[in-house]
Amino acid sequence: MTGFEWGAVMLAALLVALALRIHIGIAMLMAGSVGYIYVSGLGPLLSYFKTAAYARFSIYDLSVVPLFLLMGQFATHGGLSKSLFRAGNALVGHLRGGMAMGAVTACAGFGAICGSSLATAATMGQVALPEMKAHNYSERFSAAVLSAGGTLGILIPPSIPIVIYAIMTEQNVGRMFLAAFIPGILAAIGYMLVIAVIARVSPQDAPAGERMAWGERFRALVDTWPVLLIFLAVIGGIYSGIFTPTEAASIGTLATAFVAWKTGGLKGRGFFDCIYGAASATGMIFLILLGADILNVFLALTGLNTELAKWVVGMDLQPLAVLFVIILIYLILGCVMDSLSMILLTIPIFFPVIMGIDLWGLDPESKAIWFGILALMVVEIGLITPPVGMNVFIISSMARNVPMTEIFKYVLPFVASDILRIVLIVFVPGVALVALKIFPN
Amino acid sequence: MSEQVSVSEFAADDALGILLSRLCKIFAVASGVVLLCMAAMSLASILGRAIFTKPILGDYEMVQMMCAVAVSMALPYAHWANGHVIVDFFTSKARPAVNLFLDSIAGLLMSLAGAVMCWRLAVGMIDLRKNFDSSMLLGLPTWWGYAPMVPSFALLSAVALYITVMRLRRGPR
Repeated sequence: MTGFEWGAVMLAALLVALALRIHIGIAMLMAGSVGYIYVSGLGPLLSYFKTAAYARFSIYDLSVVPLFLLMGQFATHGGLSKSLFRAGNALVGHLRGGMAMGAVTACAGFGAICGSSLATAATMGQVALPEMKAHNYSERFSAAVLSAGGTLGILIPPSIPIVIYAIMTEQNVGRMFLAAFIPGILAAIGYMLVIAVIARVSPQDAPAGERMAWGERFRALVDTWPVLLIFLAVIGGIYSGIFTPTEAASIGTLATAFVAWKTGGLKGRGFFDCIYGAASATGMIFLILLGADILNVFLALTGLNTELAKWVVGMDLQPLAVLFVIILIYLILGCVMDSLSMILLTIPIFFPVIMGIDLWGLDPESKAIWFGILALMVVEIGLITPPVGMNVFIISSMARNVPMTEIFKYVLPFVASDILRIVLIVFVPGVALVALKIFPN
Repeated sequence: MSEQVSVSEFAADDALGILLSRLCKIFAVASGVVLLCMAAMSLASILGRAIFTKPILGDYEMVQMMCAVAVSMALPYAHWANGHVIVDFFTSKARPAVNLFLDSIAGLLMSLAGAVMCWRLAVGMIDLRKNFDSSMLLGLPTWWGYAPMVPSFALLSAVALYITVMRLRRGPR
């Protein structure tokens, strides 16, 4: 068999192993190792293993990942979600469906200090669901709002999948964060429009609240200053190039730890819960990174990804058709896999294809960044659609009176807004790239 | 999933399990402390740059080493807390006995991978020590970074084996 065929066989074997409940990182590691042995022999593999784990775990740019995870844990324990929700509610609570819009605003705010969708959904859910219930919002609607709002956690920087994508494709993390910002805001606006429509169509789901005086609004906003400060320090520092991403994440981690300590969130088991939560997520992500590393070394040996890219480019297909096929594959994979594993598994194969075809005449850097944002938005849809809509699962575990199918039904309009946004960004890449033009390198 | 919120630790009821559980937690706390130290050092380096126009020498390579240590020490706890992800979509309707069988294979493979990595890292560490391999600026011996990784992968292997055996003993549920 040729290297190309070995690559294809091992990829197929990998998919079978994944379906049979093998841990994703281990399945990648196994497929990569077995293939490596066939292509180069056992000796080279064993000597590669001597340094592989240290080489993978000691990448400087990757050190932001455990830091952002720990920062997210501190933010969750720091009670920042409460002040964000109060502020969001003070601003737009008087509108029809206003409290739901306030929750979305708060999710966006929390996303600015937390790089995780599930943590955003869970944290904001704990705060917003009881309040919304007390103000006569239907539980199915509130649950859908929080599930969708949670996905803002990953789109609005900092975002762990963006860091990983940037490292894999050798893009600048700060530039990628910058490009994700406007699509993130658009997502929040899209969700608010959906809420406004639902509140008009079925007012029993989403009543209007009371209007607050400007003084009260101002005070509620002022209460969110730690979030604003941390966000400015972290993201501003990265954009402006004053800090490396690792330094910015360090500041963010220490600052959120300080806030969590101040508000008493680290009392008793609190501190250890933060550490354990971060350790579990760190271990999980880096095991997959290690597996993906070995798989990708093997794929590079076989030349499968470059051959495949050459083949697709050589077919001279309509570039947009290629892009839509890739998006479709992401939508399908997103139904069964988590976003990070998907990115690690598919980017080595899809990225050379995308870089090889002409899309809107974009230069390589713009195209790489634009495709990354696009891929991220597509894989995030999987978090709020059946069968494994993790955000919906999390929220549903807090709103036990509502059947999950009801939540999924109410999530649909939000998914529609996601799809509209994806189509917009496919056809108008400038939406994501304009921020890069405003702030040149 | 790529970001999990709650951890569900394996419930151990025998002495070995309690020991492993403690070890996992000690490693996880060590991982967190190393991370916090890394953050503090980065902050010190920024301050040094801003105030004394002099960053900490070799902060870059210290971050690299600390990151490798923090990450590998988190691995055993991640398994103990059932944190390593699987795709369960295709088997969610299967009988518990079938899933127990598949999970046992997965657990054994995890244990095997941990053991192989531990062995190779140990060999690699000895090689580096023999060659006096060290970092560029500070001259830190590279094997220092490996030293906590070897027991981490050993613990991962042990924990994966222990959980597999205990699940098989308890039977499908």
